[in-house]
Amino acid sequence: MKAIETKKLTKKFGEKTAVNGIDLSVEEGELFALLGVNGAGKTTTIRMLSCLSAPTSGEAFIKGHSVASGRTEIKRIIGISPQDTAVAEALTVRENLRFIASVYGFDREKTEKRINDMREMFGFDEVLDSRAKTLSGGWKRKLSIAMALIGEPEILFLDEPTLGLDVLARRELWRAIRTLKGTITIVLTTHYMEEAEELSDRIAVMLGGRIAAVGTLAELEEKTGKSGLENAFIAIAEGGRD
Amino acid sequence: MHRSKAFALRNIKELLRDPLSYIFCLCFPLVMLAVMTLVNSGIPEEAGMTVFRIDKLCGGICIFGQTFIMLFTALSVSKDRAGSFLVRMYASPMTSADFIAGYILPMLAVSAAQSVITCTASYIISLFTGVELSPLGLVISVIVLIPSSLFFIALGLIFGTLFNDKAAPGLCSIIISLGSFLGCVFYDADSAGGVMLDICKSLPFYYCTKTARSAAAFDLSAEGSLIPILIVSLSAAAATFISIITFRARMKAELS
Repeated sequence: MKAIETKKLTKKFGEKTAVNGIDLSVEEGELFALLGVNGAGKTTTIRMLSCLSAPTSGEAFIKGHSVASGRTEIKRIIGISPQDTAVAEALTVRENLRFIASVYGFDREKTEKRINDMREMFGFDEVLDSRAKTLSGGWKRKLSIAMALIGEPEILFLDEPTLGLDVLARRELWRAIRTLKGTITIVLTTHYMEEAEELSDRIAVMLGGRIAAVGTLAELEEKTGKSGLENAFIAIAEGGRD
Repeated sequence: MHRSKAFALRNIKELLRDPLSYIFCLCFPLVMLAVMTLVNSGIPEEAGMTVFRIDKLCGGICIFGQTFIMLFTALSVSKDRAGSFLVRMYASPMTSADFIAGYILPMLAVSAAQSVITCTASYIISLFTGVELSPLGLVISVIVLIPSSLFFIALGLIFGTLFNDKAAPGLCSIIISLGSFLGCVFYDADSAGGVMLDICKSLPFYYCTKTARSAAAFDLSAEGSLIPILIVSLSAAAATFISIITFRARMKAELS
């Protein structure tokens, strides 16, 4: 079974078409990047896949469950880290993690185990009992991803996970994301070329709400005859304008 | 159940860690209680003005305090909506019932604590001023204040759901002013009579205050307590129902 499958998935806001009939297929355990400039439709796609926005037309299936009729089942198997760091500011890192674990119905023992897992994965030791509002942008982003992970999702959606972070915080977050590769299906949106290049198994280039190209970096380079993702992306984008 | 409990726990922690909640929900009603008692000490008995006397003031200040709980509920909901926090929660197994219970329950607990503190402070003031205040009446007050508390929390939930975190506090301030005036917290419409009394009696705020005052005075008559309690309870049920419908509709709209 595919982790994610979409068929002619479309989202319109009035007259504006944000996502235009996209067909996607993501394998289990894959790290799949949606790459595109601002307004390309990446976040809208993620919102539809995570049941936060209903498609105007077309279908999407998460582990075989339709986003139209299987919301309850889907919400149990996904985790999302939105573009803005969605954390409870007055709670500590530990309390934020405990809160999400409680929402997923974990008992005390399992909650503590998962908090420990997240502590080890993201190196939370020094900030575990600090309130979220006192954390730096990098720590908040790590906490946001840890909150998406603590419920043991099968599919993780990361919407622009390193947006606004400095280069060191970004590299650190990449390391954390890399440790997840292969253990869980990840869909990541980004407009940073090096991020998609560094982390992804496959990349979908989104332009104006459509998927302009999909493949591994090597496949995109071969398709465009250009070296490096940035050059390949520009070639695809300029080709799309012709 | 575990989801609404988890959400309620998060909300109560957020509330208890906000210094403003102590200032507005606890300190401000107590300061008003002290100031109005001082004002009352300057009013000659011949004036026949009893609205600031501690036996009348206690119930009024309890209701005044509850209007601030409404403000905090509205702020809590509208702030959550302003950021991405609710987006994350919408993608979790949380249902609209979990959200609503999670917002209402902690506020009910804070409101009950506020009533206990206000009634205790009123009793202490009554010992100094020599005005008789029945401890049993005050215990009954805390209980009969629950429906009005729910009424104001539901109003806060409606404002927080419909308006953003800039508009909701402003609108709540209007309700705080109107509620305390038309609820006769600092003004005796019964003595004034006329059109003002008719207007006050056409709104639930008047009955909220009347219920609290009657209970404090240990007046359990139909006119003094039972009918006002019934009106407040029905208003609370209606406001809660509207808040549930409003929150569900907003959640559905945001997920469409």
